[in-house]
Amino acid sequence: MNPIDELRAARPAHLDDDRPVDPRTRAAELSCAMSIPRPAPRSAPRSARRRRGVARPAWGLGLAGAAAAVTAAAVVLSMNGTAPTPRPPVGSPANVPSTQKVTLSARDVLLAAAAKADRQPEGKGEYWHTVSVHRTLFTAAKGGYRVLDQRLDEGWTPSATGEDQKQWGRMQPLGARPASEEDRQAWERAGSPTAIEVTVPGKSRPMVLQTSPRRAMTGHSPLGDDDTVFWLGRNVTIKDLRELPTDPDGLKRRLLSWKGKDTDVPKSGDAWLFVVSKGLIMDMPVTPEVRGAAFRMLAELDDVQVIENVTDTQGRRGTAVAIKEPTQGNGVSENRLIFDEATGRALANENVVVQPGSFQAGLEPGTVWNSNALIEAGWTDAKP
Amino acid sequence: MTDDAHRFTGMYDECRQRVWAYVVSRAGRQVADEVVSETFAIAWRRLDDVPEPALPWLLGVARNVLRDNVRAEVRREAVAAELRAWTEGDVADQVTERLGVLRALATLAEDDREILVLVAWHGLSPKEGARVVGCSSAAFRVRLHRARKRLKQAMEAKATLRPEASSLPHVRNLSEEWS
Repeated sequence: MNPIDELRAARPAHLDDDRPVDPRTRAAELSCAMSIPRPAPRSAPRSARRRRGVARPAWGLGLAGAAAAVTAAAVVLSMNGTAPTPRPPVGSPANVPSTQKVTLSARDVLLAAAAKADRQPEGKGEYWHTVSVHRTLFTAAKGGYRVLDQRLDEGWTPSATGEDQKQWGRMQPLGARPASEEDRQAWERAGSPTAIEVTVPGKSRPMVLQTSPRRAMTGHSPLGDDDTVFWLGRNVTIKDLRELPTDPDGLKRRLLSWKGKDTDVPKSGDAWLFVVSKGLIMDMPVTPEVRGAAFRMLAELDDVQVIENVTDTQGRRGTAVAIKEPTQGNGVSENRLIFDEATGRALANENVVVQPGSFQAGLEPGTVWNSNALIEAGWTDAKP
Repeated sequence: MTDDAHRFTGMYDECRQRVWAYVVSRAGRQVADEVVSETFAIAWRRLDDVPEPALPWLLGVARNVLRDNVRAEVRREAVAAELRAWTEGDVADQVTERLGVLRALATLAEDDREILVLVAWHGLSPKEGARVVGCSSAAFRVRLHRARKRLKQAMEAKATLRPEASSLPHVRNLSEEWS
């Protein structure tokens, strides 16, 4: 008998592939994985049949079931140990703390940002390196407080292409902590637990978050088919990104031509362009001129708004360009790209509750329910 | 449920136990749940990168998570304990032949074991296996051929191995010396 066949027959019973997963393990693992908001899709199908092109809002709106459920707990913009901002009255969607809508000048603000973005210096290096901090808000299962779970994400995308090239990623859970001073007091009253059970709406069992940071995990993978590394409606290569048109109309046409036919998220052209160009401005290795063109393109969209004097989760002041998106259960969420007007650089992407949908029940309008703050984006020669 | 969540859940249900079994065969049961959990967290974040079929990609991710996060000596010890458990009959219906094959597997080097297990227990083709371990299909075939030969030799040598030899891998060269 072939030794492989003998080995196959000798497989220990507990390694049988067909054994069902314990339901509790399944629920915990699925909600753990999907509790992390997905970054803007970054490409790479190896075979044509594998992927359904999905135009996906980067933050949360694409999440549902267990995933969207975990976003149901959130807190008002009051981060970084500063005094909690008073929560806005329920039912006043436009009332976002410390912000001021200036829709009239939206176009001018974006055109000014475009001019700054055009003049950003362009570095050089073997890898496009990004560092960002993701935060998601949860409600403790007991004790009536909210916690902020954080993780640090890093990515290295090679400028070179070919089979030998690898893209790298690193993720470090930074731990969960009470979201505000008020929450901290409630957490202390609950005995300052280091493992905090948080509710996951739709799941019967709570999920456990640790307050302590964990070791960073580093991994790598080969590039996708034809060296694709990012997603912009379809999978694109570094070369595709470098060759994007530098005029807003040309850029718009190119991006629309990449919009997947099988997109299953009904989105208007504007909303879709917003989502795609947000990723492009924020963390893709495009030329400064293309970043400028993206701002100019956004300036011409009817549905976007500009919000001035916004503070991101890292305490940085900036201006947001935003678009409203529907969520499940007749909810509305605001997707914001926060940028620095002085440089035209992206600072963060945040999702704010405007009108709580079925998964945001109990959340006050104005609540930032998840965020991604960009710490660094640029070229480097170093890899992990 | 959105398309992404639906697709992810389907992938999880299809592959979770296989990823778990792979990790157990590489590093033992103790770390398996954590590695599996991390693997699927990565898969969710990179869902657009996940090919169809997803299994080889997932095993490759699990392999990286293992390599980067579980110290080699811990891994060796854990897998030695795991192999000991299999071959010392924690399963009542073990038959002698199966025991012999598992004991022979236990005598092989980690690299050989991995290749054999990917093919025999996970049903991967050489091309898919190559994707997991990060080599060319041709190199994988060569390694499979050699590993199979060494497994056969170990199975033939097993009769003369002392019982404690099953808790290798530190005496794994015995079979080669005797062949």
